[in-house]
Amino acid sequence: MHDVHGVEEAERMGRARSRIFFVLAIVFFSGQAAYFGSSPLTRDSTPRIGAWLILVCLILMLLATGGFLLRGRKVRDLLNDETSRMNRLASQALGFWVTIITALALYVESMFDSLTFNEGVHILVTLGVGSALISFAVRERRAHSA
Amino acid sequence: MTERLANSIRNAREVYGWTQAELAARVGVSRKTINTIENGIFVPSTLTALKIAEALGRSVEELFSVIES
Repeated sequence: MHDVHGVEEAERMGRARSRIFFVLAIVFFSGQAAYFGSSPLTRDSTPRIGAWLILVCLILMLLATGGFLLRGRKVRDLLNDETSRMNRLASQALGFWVTIITALALYVESMFDSLTFNEGVHILVTLGVGSALISFAVRERRAHSA
Repeated sequence: MTERLANSIRNAREVYGWTQAELAARVGVSRKTINTIENGIFVPSTLTALKIAEALGRSVEELFSVIES
């Protein structure tokens, strides 16, 4: 049995998490829009690719764990209980399907247009990870306010 | 014809005058989980259903039922 204070703290953190994930998704998609909007000669600079890789790894870690790793075990267990685990699994499944369908679409597109390997990877990762992130945020938000 | 899980958790909870957070604390889940189960959005695991029934002093069959729509 948990105390009500712990449940309320997990509730606050859960709501904050869905907001943070929304903002993170906007930052992620904006970064990709800037990437494709910039000159092909400069878009693959080391700092830019490094920042992108760090952001992708951070988002993947958040999607895999639910975040708040430095918080106490009890609150984290509440935050990532049955509902959140199901929401996370459903979001990861959506991300998987979006990635596969995008990969197929890119394969067909490459027959008609030239696409670099880096551009293809960016598109795949952006849509796959981004869709999972948004899906999780939406599902969590809906669960909180249902 | 589809089947869905109906429940009377809200009524049973209100008998005790508990909020969703109070029931969640007794069951050991988040308020969100109680909320989504009460509203039929989320189907709980057997473990959670048993814990909710135990917290409310009811049997699982009293709290949950399958309805066809």
